[in-house]
Amino acid sequence: MILAAISSKSGSVMENVGSNIIHHVSNSDISHPIMKLPVILGVDFSVTKHVLMLWIVTVILSFSIVIPVRRYLSKTAETPTGWVNAIETVVQFIRDSIVRPNIGTKWTSSYTPVLLTFFFFILFTNTIGMIPIFDIIGLINRFVLDVSASDSHNAINGILHGGVTATGNFNVTGALAAITFFLIIIAGTRAHGFFNHWKNLVPSGLAWPVYIILIPIEIIGMLVKPFALTMRLAANMTGGHIALLALLSLMAIFGEMFQSALAGIGVAFISVPMAVAVSGLEIIVILVQAYVFTLLSAVFIGMAINVHH
Amino acid sequence: MEATALVPLGMGLIVVGAGMGIGRFAAAAAESIARQPEAADKITAAVNLPLFLLEGVAILAEVFTFLMLIL
Repeated sequence: MILAAISSKSGSVMENVGSNIIHHVSNSDISHPIMKLPVILGVDFSVTKHVLMLWIVTVILSFSIVIPVRRYLSKTAETPTGWVNAIETVVQFIRDSIVRPNIGTKWTSSYTPVLLTFFFFILFTNTIGMIPIFDIIGLINRFVLDVSASDSHNAINGILHGGVTATGNFNVTGALAAITFFLIIIAGTRAHGFFNHWKNLVPSGLAWPVYIILIPIEIIGMLVKPFALTMRLAANMTGGHIALLALLSLMAIFGEMFQSALAGIGVAFISVPMAVAVSGLEIIVILVQAYVFTLLSAVFIGMAINVHH
Repeated sequence: MEATALVPLGMGLIVVGAGMGIGRFAAAAAESIARQPEAADKITAAVNLPLFLLEGVAILAEVFTFLMLIL
């Protein structure tokens, strides 16, 4: 992240800052992927930075959540200790204060696992964006190994360039929201039957002209729910990083404006503490967004199950 | 005037609107918790969902204005 502020290379700093920030919060370039994979059925399977992050998250999740829980479940019932105990607190919180009030006692155990998967996946993917591993690798690459920033065929430059966190990418959150979209339909179908689920979308027993307005609204609403989930998560994760980078870029901007390094250093005394404060806020946002995605998924599933007119 | 010149103004209006909405939420929640401290859990649970929906509207509008700016 600091690299973004100081690596505004040629030309005026003011011209470079905006594109630099956008460059650093978007995914890495598909034409220079980290790993080149073939195109299957029109989908490019090349590994970009966000895909690499998702793989790292998958490995971390397996070792920290899936394997301990499986190992605990394979034993005969005993009191959980240590790490499994910590996981149990989260699981119980999700089940008792998100799933049960919104979905209802009858279906709690059916939908808790998938919502827990959402929660842990989003939490870990959000968190990896706040750990500056890639930035540190980039710093070492730039200043210890002396690779220039413009060398786009360098593997580490490929990793470094672009990307905050995978949940800041609309494609990733779109896929998560698509799962929620199908979950809503499946939940309604399982609770009421296929035709009754679609009938339940609109309240029954109204005068017929009302339906002309109501049915399109409900169909739009059905699509807007996952769309809003997509946008909320991705925009929140990207927004915090843009704020961070903008604050740090102030150093370069002021240094350029007053034509002295001293101005930049002076602004650093204000902008760096503010960036630290924004980072603290980001940590709260990480937790809140994972919670919100789980809560809203639970609410939408609950709306399909507990229909009330 | 160029159309994109109004986009930052729109972003500002979004922030004002969402800020007023969230402020009213927080004020009402704080007041009701002060009146009835034992119902704090229920009030927080009831406030959470509309709060996030409101935040979602603000973020959607912001994303759209941002897309207008860069596209």
